[in-house]
Amino acid sequence: MEHNAPRKVALIANCLLNQNAKVCEGANYRGLVSPVIEALRSRGYLLLQLPCPELAFAGVRRWWAVYEQYDTPVYRAHCRRLAQAIAPLVESHLRAGAEVVLIGLDGSPSTGVRFTSSKPDWGGRPNRPLDDWDIVPGRGIWIEELEAELARRGLPALPATGWALDMGRFDEAGARRDLEQFLDGHDSPGGSSGTGAERS
Amino acid sequence: MSSDSRGWRVALVPEALINPPERLRASLPDALNVLEASGYGVLQLPPPGPHDLLMAVIADQVEEYAHHGYAVAAIGLRGEPGSGLHWRRLAPLLRHRSVSLPPRHIVRPDADAAGETQRLTAFLAGYDLPSEEQRRWRL
Repeated sequence: MEHNAPRKVALIANCLLNQNAKVCEGANYRGLVSPVIEALRSRGYLLLQLPCPELAFAGVRRWWAVYEQYDTPVYRAHCRRLAQAIAPLVESHLRAGAEVVLIGLDGSPSTGVRFTSSKPDWGGRPNRPLDDWDIVPGRGIWIEELEAELARRGLPALPATGWALDMGRFDEAGARRDLEQFLDGHDSPGGSSGTGAERS
Repeated sequence: MSSDSRGWRVALVPEALINPPERLRASLPDALNVLEASGYGVLQLPPPGPHDLLMAVIADQVEEYAHHGYAVAAIGLRGEPGSGLHWRRLAPLLRHRSVSLPPRHIVRPDADAAGETQRLTAFLAGYDLPSEEQRRWRL
């Protein structure tokens, strides 16, 4: 790997480069989520794509689910394996002095950063489109396990935010403003709450 | 799946095409722009080096796509080890998962960037699964 001047790296949710990873009926773009990719590239960020934990675990034809349904020992072990796969790349960037930020997917049971989805009593037969769930503050399972793996390696907490795609009502312009505020405003490494969180 | 916008096509893309080193930037197509315009999703391959666990994780994802109606292609970069695709590692991982090897398009960094952009665009536009496979999966 090349490490010259200090660099900026964005560790991004898999589906921000690949909407085919989304749960059925969840893709808002054909492939790349271009507003996110443009915002990052125009600011000089290198892209580092996370694996999608749900795709490899429950498959491309999975139902949607909430945090509580994925909060199982085996899913967490799967997420830890993925974290161990990607962590060396994150570590090498950090050890080379790069600034690394994490861009997840708010509202996701796995990849949520500021918000995840919750419905403790969900289970049994899916009942779409009537099923409803809550958006609650907190990390998704995958982000929890990824951050734990980075911490185990003695790495600092990454400034982090989420693209608000899975918040119920998706407002692309608002999500873009929110992301740009984060990218332009986070100058305190370790800050992780983001700003301007909007509930929908 | 009428409310779903996915493109059903995925490209394996080397690190060097996603984050081109300064020395190559002017001579390469902007692969992400081309992929976006072509409606492909991206699976990023790591830089050269032994990334055994990550390559297995990537192969697991490719298997899931390849067995469920998605078209998977690979975009290589000439001059990179394994064309930037870790092909010697990836190919047996895919075979082990009963996945046909994806068609490969190799970008040439020593050629005209505009011409390479056209070649890449044409490759991406021309590739998909046979229509009966598409009908089977893409409801």
